Amino acid sequence: MDFFVQLFTDPASFYSGHELLIAQMGVNSLLAISIFVTLYAGQLTLAQVGFMAIGAYTSVILNIDARLPLAVGAVAGSLLAAVAALIIGLPVLRLRGIFLAIATLGFGEAFRFGVLLNLPITGEGQGLTNTGADIEGGIVPVWISVVILTYLIFCLTRSRTGRAWAAMREDEAAAASQGINVVAMKMAAFLLGALIAGYAGALDAHLSFFVDPTEYATPRAVGVLIFAVVGGTGFVLGPVVGAIFLTALPEILRFAADYRDAVNGLILLLIIIFRPQGLVSRGGLAIIRPRWWPLARS
Amino acid sequence: MGQQLLNAIFLGSIYALFAVGYTLVFGVLDVLNLAHSAVFMLGAVVAYSIVGLHGGPFWLGMLAALTVSAGMGLVIEFVALRPLRRRGAPPLSALIATIGLALIIVALIEQSHAGGWLGWLWQDGANPVRFPPGSVPNPILHVAGLIIPGDDIAIGIVTVALMLILGWIVRATSVGRALRAVAENQRASRLMGIDVDRLFALTLVGSSALAGLAGVLFGLALSDIDPYIGRDQVELRGLAIIVLGGMGSVTGAVVGGYLLAIIEVAVIVAGYTNLRAGVAFAALFLMLVLRPQGLFGSRVQERL
Amino acid sequence: MKRVLTGAGALLLLATAACGGTSSGTTSTSYKGNTIKLGAVFSLTGLGGVYGPQSKNAALLAQDDINAKGGVNGATIQLTVVDDGSDKTQAAQQTQTLIQEDGVIALLGPTLSNSAVAAHPVADSLKTPMMGTSNTGLNIVGTCPYPCDYIFRDSLGEQDAIPANIKTYADAKHPKTGVVLYPNDDKFSSDGAQIVNDTAPKYGIKIVKTIQFTKNEADLSPYVTEAVAANPDVIFITSLGGIPAKIMTTARADGWQGQFLGGNGFNTAAVSKQAGQAGLGAQSGSAWYPGINTQSNRDFIAHYKAKYGADPDQLAAQAYTGVMILADAASRANLTFKDVAKDRTSMRDAMLATNLSDTPLGPFKFTSSHDVKQTIYVVAMDGKGGFTLVSTVPL
Repeated sequence: MDFFVQLFTDPASFYSGHELLIAQMGVNSLLAISIFVTLYAGQLTLAQVGFMAIGAYTSVILNIDARLPLAVGAVAGSLLAAVAALIIGLPVLRLRGIFLAIATLGFGEAFRFGVLLNLPITGEGQGLTNTGADIEGGIVPVWISVVILTYLIFCLTRSRTGRAWAAMREDEAAAASQGINVVAMKMAAFLLGALIAGYAGALDAHLSFFVDPTEYATPRAVGVLIFAVVGGTGFVLGPVVGAIFLTALPEILRFAADYRDAVNGLILLLIIIFRPQGLVSRGGLAIIRPRWWPLARS
Repeated sequence: MGQQLLNAIFLGSIYALFAVGYTLVFGVLDVLNLAHSAVFMLGAVVAYSIVGLHGGPFWLGMLAALTVSAGMGLVIEFVALRPLRRRGAPPLSALIATIGLALIIVALIEQSHAGGWLGWLWQDGANPVRFPPGSVPNPILHVAGLIIPGDDIAIGIVTVALMLILGWIVRATSVGRALRAVAENQRASRLMGIDVDRLFALTLVGSSALAGLAGVLFGLALSDIDPYIGRDQVELRGLAIIVLGGMGSVTGAVVGGYLLAIIEVAVIVAGYTNLRAGVAFAALFLMLVLRPQGLFGSRVQERL
Repeated sequence: MKRVLTGAGALLLLATAACGGTSSGTTSTSYKGNTIKLGAVFSLTGLGGVYGPQSKNAALLAQDDINAKGGVNGATIQLTVVDDGSDKTQAAQQTQTLIQEDGVIALLGPTLSNSAVAAHPVADSLKTPMMGTSNTGLNIVGTCPYPCDYIFRDSLGEQDAIPANIKTYADAKHPKTGVVLYPNDDKFSSDGAQIVNDTAPKYGIKIVKTIQFTKNEADLSPYVTEAVAANPDVIFITSLGGIPAKIMTTARADGWQGQFLGGNGFNTAAVSKQAGQAGLGAQSGSAWYPGINTQSNRDFIAHYKAKYGADPDQLAAQAYTGVMILADAASRANLTFKDVAKDRTSMRDAMLATNLSDTPLGPFKFTSSHDVKQTIYVVAMDGKGGFTLVSTVPL
């Protein structure tokens, strides 16, 4: 438990000792927000890591080949991810439920095996060396982005677009009969999710001296889904909380040494069985329910 | 060329065995059971434990593997699925509960060493092992210049036999009818007097036993048993196959398994060895876009 | 006159050798009462899990042996070993935590070359020496794609081991053709394949096919069939984990009778055992052999067997030597135990001057690029989980 002890008694050394972890929590929060957007619109997509890979590789390639700074790389990466989303989305978005999830998973893996592992420009199986990596400087943009995006998406869910998405999620046919352009709205959610994921990828790549294809495989895609479901999918803060908690969990469980992974799985199992609606839901944050808690529908 | 065709058939059998269990649970119960791969691995581990660690005969190892796997099916139902059904939880949570269970199982085996509390079951931690040579009869046939290990033939026979038996069960028995009813509409089935809970348990037991069987045969034929078989590649292939073949269709899972294997081997023979894994997913993606119900599936389910 | 001088010279030499190269605690007690904190990041689970546990066992054994003999200048060594799960990101995170949380002044690891490229830059940026005890890939030390002033390794690189192995076999059997099989998403394997492709032609072996796959592939039989169909004299396997054994078993089952030549991935008992009869005669260049004639090697083998009930392997020897190197550096580094940053840099400087005559790997010193130059032991699997010595290639 000295994880928490140190966090509260000596934040400065906690920060310096866990920079990489804190950065990862931020990146995973961004990914969680990305999947939240699509889930909110009623789509179960697992393409986040594929778009993340596009953002990461684009940013790194621009950095090492054209010496463009992170800001340019991040924008280019997320735009390219959005383009990919547009191309994939057209045929795929008419699928529903788990089929959409599997199709997007299939896209991610096909992209990884077909493209990333085999093109010289992506370094083939070895990935790319990111000589411009900067761990210290990378954390701040990540967390600023998390805060800003959380707020923006929250506003979005309260807007007319957000209400349209919620309506589509409940009942697509009814929503269409109300005059909502379901196809366009679906694509909008998918694109927004891709933009955020691509952006997250670029920031994540900046933190590491290497980008390689194994980081963007199915286990990570499923992991992002777990952040969202464990955190709670009704409210944008849910996936963020889920991401922060689950990313930190292995480190919190450090004392469990050899059995860390087993305990990790056990905690996951227990949370989902006893609180299937997620940690953050209409009832509040697990056991706390502050007075200002917005009574969003979950 | 002929040898590669044999490879494809053999590979297809393994894929098919794995996928059949998967498709039963998904097609009938609407649950994607991601603990399936952990049970697959556990089957191999148990069989190795009997044969490799304790020197028992292979048939005993196989029996133990089937029993333990079937038991795991009950564990999955009672620990992960039933509590969520009782709470009326969203279907996605069942998926994640099975993931949690799988993590625990793999982690426990991974950490198990000689002298540990699970040391009687598995002593090799993360290391891959194989059945001791000679512990399993494996005559090698030489036919027309091709080399056919007897194990591979056995696997092919088992797969086809299972497909026929399962197909018959689903079509012609009352259990099969109940399964189809539940697959159609759970609530209606319950109202009609079908004990849905019992059916869940039954389906999970059957599917997990199949997973365990596939695991033993896999470990035997590929000389590779470790805590990680089943994860990643095999699991994802299983997913691709049930989509290709059609959710809930046993025939589809088997045909899909062989079809995928043939496509993959063809890609390798054509020289694109590093694209093999991508093929499965490209095929998956295309099938979903062009024909979501797969080759033999009958309905497209809508479920979030 | 000459005889006296040579005699005196010999005495002087002996004296310096004794001072510079023992594996036991030194006689000084200037550090008494302090603890020297060291860390190690090994792959105890995941793909590298076949290699990590031996490194961990040996490193902890070395810690115990050194402490039992009085420690380093009177201080005890405290070695913290963590698991990176064969995952690059975890390796980097664990490295940072060990350095900044636990305050270690030097580290060993990580197990896989693939993880080293993530963990080593972290250690270097935090100015803490980190030494790979099983990293044999390219550009791990010396010229790295990132700053690596603080990075060392005591594991013989593939760029030396593989050519020595190929030359030994080529000189004996004169093979003409070869096929290379490797997963292209692993650095260690890819580097090895590159070295094979560069070296084999120099010894008259034509590489007729290079077959790539991915490291998580469950079934390798189609790839092996392709390899066997080309009917080569040699199949080169530069992979790791469970992959070499699977390839060998399948190739033999396909009826292929040729020679397997490999890299560092072969050099552990688990792989030899998994390959069994199929691996009989599979040959690789190794950094260690039980018969190395130093007292510390004999002691190491005896202690390891007594404590763990199994024979040590190359990875264990390299990790044991790794701790010895760190302990020796610590004894010469004038540690303050108060200024951690200064101590880390002092460790690095002391490591540069390492000159040990008695380690399980034989005499040891670093090259100018923090790398290893040593005798190479060409070994072959014996079909029963062990290895036999084929020849030695002195450097």
